[in-house]
Order: sequence, then C-alpha cells, then structure tokens
Amino acid sequence: MLVHRSTKRGVFAATIAAVAALAVSALPAQAFTPHSEIGVTANTIKLGITVPLTGSAAPGYNKVPYAMKAYFDYVNDNGGVNGRKISLVIKDDAYSPILAKSVTNDLILKDKVFALVGTLGTANNEATTKFVNDKGVPRLFVNTGYSGFANAKKYPSTYALFPSYYMEAKVMGSFLAEKYAGHKVALLYQDDDFGLDALAGFGQAGTSFVAKIPYASGSQVDPTVIGKWITSIVASGADTVVVFGVSTATAAALGGAYKAGLAGKIQWILGSVGADPTTIKTLAPTALPLLNGAIAASFLPSASDANDEYVKQFAEINAKYNKGATLDNNVLVGMNAGMLTVQALRAAGTNLTRAKLMAAIESQGSKFASAGFAPLGWSKTSHVGYNGYWFGKLGADGSQTPLDGAGKYVLYTTDSSSGAVAKATIARPAMPAKGLPTN
Amino acid sequence: MRKSKALSALTFLALGLALLGLSNFVDELRVYQGAQIGVYIIAISSIILLTGYSGQISLGHGALMAIGGYSAVLSFTYWHLPVLLAFTVGALSSALAGFILGMAAARLSGPYLAGTTLALAVGLPSLANQFHILGGEQGLSFDIGEAPKWIADKTVGEFTQYKWFFWITVLCTLVTMWFIKNLLQSRYGRTWKAVRGNPSAAALSGINVGRSKVLAFTVSSALAGLAGALLAMLLGLVAPMAFTLTLSFTIVTGAVLAGVTNLAGSIVGALVLVVIPELTDAVATHLGGSQKITANLPGLITSVLLILTVIFAPNGPQLHKRMRASKKESSNTIK
Repeated sequence: MLVHRSTKRGVFAATIAAVAALAVSALPAQAFTPHSEIGVTANTIKLGITVPLTGSAAPGYNKVPYAMKAYFDYVNDNGGVNGRKISLVIKDDAYSPILAKSVTNDLILKDKVFALVGTLGTANNEATTKFVNDKGVPRLFVNTGYSGFANAKKYPSTYALFPSYYMEAKVMGSFLAEKYAGHKVALLYQDDDFGLDALAGFGQAGTSFVAKIPYASGSQVDPTVIGKWITSIVASGADTVVVFGVSTATAAALGGAYKAGLAGKIQWILGSVGADPTTIKTLAPTALPLLNGAIAASFLPSASDANDEYVKQFAEINAKYNKGATLDNNVLVGMNAGMLTVQALRAAGTNLTRAKLMAAIESQGSKFASAGFAPLGWSKTSHVGYNGYWFGKLGADGSQTPLDGAGKYVLYTTDSSSGAVAKATIARPAMPAKGLPTN
Repeated sequence: MRKSKALSALTFLALGLALLGLSNFVDELRVYQGAQIGVYIIAISSIILLTGYSGQISLGHGALMAIGGYSAVLSFTYWHLPVLLAFTVGALSSALAGFILGMAAARLSGPYLAGTTLALAVGLPSLANQFHILGGEQGLSFDIGEAPKWIADKTVGEFTQYKWFFWITVLCTLVTMWFIKNLLQSRYGRTWKAVRGNPSAAALSGINVGRSKVLAFTVSSALAGLAGALLAMLLGLVAPMAFTLTLSFTIVTGAVLAGVTNLAGSIVGALVLVVIPELTDAVATHLGGSQKITANLPGLITSVLLILTVIFAPNGPQLHKRMRASKKESSNTIK
C-alpha cells in the first residue's frame, strides 16, 4: 500500500513538473518582433536551409549551404538587401525525410525564419510540404528537380529552380536517340520520386533500356549493393550506362565498375544530380579512369570554365568568403541560389513580407540574372525554373567541356509533359557588376 | 478501493482537461513538444511494463513501433479508417508481432533476448525497401487532416494541426496510463512481479511462467505499436529512418532514467528526452550556434545521465530516494 500511495504521489509530482515545464518553456519562445513579418526586422532577414551535412549523401552537398552563406556574407559586407543583412540558419537533415521534417519544424517554429531557401532532396521537401503549405512559408529554389514541385496548386509557396528530372530524362532520351542509337543502354536510378520522375520522362521519350536497376537511397554505401549493380550491368550486356542518382552513388558505381575490370568498356552518362567531379574524385579516386570521358548533363556552366563571367565572379567570392573551399558544381549551385534569393528579396521592396516576396518572383523572376543557361520560367501561373540542359564530356581533372568543342554549349530545352525537345541558343542576362544585383 | 479508483479517474480527467486547456495558451512549438512527450511516455511505459515488471529485456521496441506506425498508416490510407481506429489497428498488429516474438522471448533471457530483439530493430525497418507498398526509403505520408470544426470552433485562438496532434496524443496517453496503472495493480501485474522476482518460486506457486511472459510481451508490444502510430502522426509520414536503432535505445534510456520499475517515472524520462535537446540547442546557440555541437551534445548529455543513473541510482532517481528513506526507517526500528 505504501508503494501504491507513493506511486500515485509520483504521478502527481511528475505531471505537475511536466505541466510547469511546458508552461515555463513557452515564455521565451514568444520573442518580440518589431517588424510585422516573421523573420524580418529593421536590419535583418533570417532564412533557413536543410541539407545533408552528415550521412551517405553528405559529401558534396555539404558544400552547398556554406557557399550560399558565403555569397550572403559578401552581399552583407556590401550593404545587404535594402539595408538588411541576411542570416542563414543551416540545418542538417542527413538526407532523411524524417529528420528534414523535424529540423524544418525547428526552422519555422523555433528559429522563425522568413523563408526557406535551397532545401535539398525530393523526398525531404515532400515530407515538409504539408507544414510549409500550412504556414505559408516561401520555399525558394528547392535543390531538387522533382517535376511535381513546379505544381503551383499543390505547392503554392514552393519555387522550383532546377529543370525537372522529367525534363532531364526526356532530353537525355533524345540525346541517346541522336548519339547512341543501336547501343545497349542500362539505367541505374534512385528508387524514390527522384528516380521515378526520371523513369516517367524516359517513358515519354520512348527510351528503352536493357536493364533498369533501382537502388534505395542510402544503400550506395553498402558494398554488396554495389556488387549487385555491377552484376546486373554485366548480365544485361550493356555498353552504355545512365546513372540517375546522387554523386555518392555515381562514385560507388564507377568505383565498383573499375574493380570489376569494366574500365573502357562502358560509356557512362550521368544525370546532372550525380555528376559532380570533385565529389566523385574525392570518394572514389580509383574511378578516375572511368570518369574521364563520361558524359554529363548540366544546366549551369562547368565550374572549370574560367572564362564564364559567372564562374569567374563566384570564384572570387568563394576564395574570399568560403575559407578556400574548392570551386565545384555544389559551390556554383549554392552561390547561384544565393544570388537569385538576393534579387527576389530586392524585388520584394523595403516593406518585406512573404506575400510580396512570392509576388516579386512571379512578376519579375524570369528576368533575374543567374548562371544557368536556360531561361527562368516563373510567372503567376508557373513555378518552373530552368527548362533545359547541355551535355559535356568530363575530363580526368574534373573539367566538363561541351561535346562539340570548347565554349560551344548546345542547350536542349523541353517541358515536364509531352512537349517536344528542342535545341536552343543560350541567352542569359549578364552577371551584375561585382556579382551584386542592382534590380 | 473503489473510492480511490474514482478519485484517480477524476485526477486523470482533470489532468487531461488542464493539458488541453493549456494547449490554447502556449507556443505552437511547445504544443508539438508536448505531443512528443506524450509519445515517449507511452513508449517508455511499454518498456517499464516489460522490463520493470515482467523482467524481460527488449532492445527492439523501435521495430515494434515501426510495425504499429506502418499498420496505422496503411489501414488509414487503404481502408480509410478513422484515425483512432487506425491507431488501434497499429497497436493490434504490433501486439500480434509481439505475441510471436514473445513466444521466442519466453525461452530466452538476458543477453540472448537482448540480442534477438536488437536484430529485429536492425533488420525490420529496411523491409520497407523490399516491398513497394511500404514506400521505400522515402516512406508513406500520413495526413490525418485538421481538427473537426465542432472542436476547433470552441477553443481560443487558431486551432493548428499540431494542437490537434497534441489533443489526440494527450487522450491516448492518459487512457494508456490509466490502463497500465490498473493492469499493474491487477492479478496480471502481481503475476509479472512474482515471475520477475523469482521464476521458480512463481512456478511453484502455480503461475504459468511462460504464458505470463508472453502476455507481458504482447501488451508491451501493443503499447509500443500505439506509440509508433502516434509518432507517425506527428511526423506526418512513416519511413525506415523514423524507427532507427537510436529510437530503440532512446526509449530504453528513457526507461532507465525513469527508473524501470516506476511507471510514473515514464513522465520524467520522456521529459528528459525532449528537454535535453532543447536545452543543448539553447546552449549551443549561446556558444556560437555550431551545428556540430547542437547535433552531438544531446547524445553526450543523455549518455552521461544514463551512466550516472546506472551507477548511483540503478532503480531510478525516485525509487532510490524511497529506498534510502525506507532503509533509514528500518534501521531505526528495533526488530
């Protein structure tokens, strides 16, 4: 009876403690904001990003947020945006939708960010969509090419930047038909909405594969899984392999193929997501002979193209503000998204609100300066960003040169439905002086 | 006895109303954390019931939570069951899995049982990648929708989705605690304690030791399944990454911090698990806001707390105090 009574007393004490803790902890969370919009004060703008900083997908991607932050720091040192300095809260989601959900929770409820920028991963962005929609938080320039995110009805505050995987697969399908007719092509893809989007695009393009090899996201670190890929590729008799996965998966595939003695026997064609040479070189140094000569799709200029005005300017900022991180595709992606964000914030005016930010992108976004070769498609009715790719050959040093010779970028554009693939000329706005937008 | 039961029922009811009322006045983040605490309370109670009362160990409750979570989501999505019914399906599926596992568990003990359940926690979640209906690594989304209008209209302020989650979790937690409290005071609770204390003596007193152990495992699994379903609701999805080995260890840690033989302690354990990351986040922000510190500090502090608890108060801080008090008492009386 003694135990019973004291258990009851314990329940009571513990619940009182729980209630008190809940009540007390509620107080500091309600910070005083002088400005009427969440995450904006008279002299600051708070933005948030979720990216894998740890885990199997982290290598490479972990450079994106720091490059973006470096660009914001550069802009801050040059007067900021309409007198406000940008701060970027970086959260690690380990490429897990579950973690993405919980850190996005923190960004919106605890850090109270004004907007999310460049949040990475198809599944990760999908996991947070419901909450982002409920709260009406602008989610700019998501770092994924899932075609669904351009659907303004389903994702009203989300703005796609990358051309969709659906477009990429269609473009690649027509590229394969043009240059690799009669070849036996196998496909390795990430088995979630990222890869399934691509599968649908290949279906639309009418591309046929001798083998389709799915892999679960994260399983690319498992040697037995890599072994199975290689066995399937060899068994299919493929002479050309398309990889639609992250760079860590590309590195694993190339490394595995090298070990299996497939060097020189297979033409590798890499999707834009998994074609960062720096990441691949770091993860699988043995894969270098295979990387040399691989063909990759891209929508940004090659990070090794020192003549490109955007690359040149970003390299300068990178050297000064990013602790000397090697300039690669990931750094370009981060800085490019940063520059677009700054233009969107400027366009939204001094009385910054979430609604104004989104309206500004829809009315002026298509004219923003950016490093991408394809035009930007944002409008009142569309949240599609870029719509095209160029193909280049990778060198052993990680450089990527256009197939038809140096400097001659050939752009293939299309849409995320049944539209045709067209070759287009490149017309992009000039880099603003010193990389500081004046729009 | 009847009077005290009515009193404690009233206490539970009042507590529920107080918590629901409180949810109208606190920050949305706290409401969400409140719901997290609720989920942990149920999960930790399932371990306390299993380990503290029936003397069995499980390092695989994360897997049982996964079974509960996935079953709830699948039945909600494909059978269009109401949420609470979907949770029941989650708990029952998990109970069934626990029943089967319990049959094996009753024949194993100590490290062997720990190993078996651990293997389950390691292996089971990756099954999601094998069957397309389970959604792979990306998981399945679980959107229970907004609160019904007749509830939302009667409360102060905006009725956010997290507040609705909190209300559901509070309801489930209180009902569960009420159920466990009564169960532990019943014949079954006494049987389990007898088995834990001395299996041979229990068997000699006519208790079917094996059956009693399987029953404890089944009930504990049902609770874990319910916690898993609630967790899926909070996360808005189920995916293998939601039910990692870390989750299994976390709830065992919570149970040890709570004092494994102390049901009320589950509240303390759950509080600790939610509050520590919150505190370390605040500390890390003051220290310069490094993501690395924020990510690793909670684990470190929890581990240190765990070690300290095991060394200085193996039965939990509360029971430790109580035992010291009763020791003093007995040394003062002349027998």
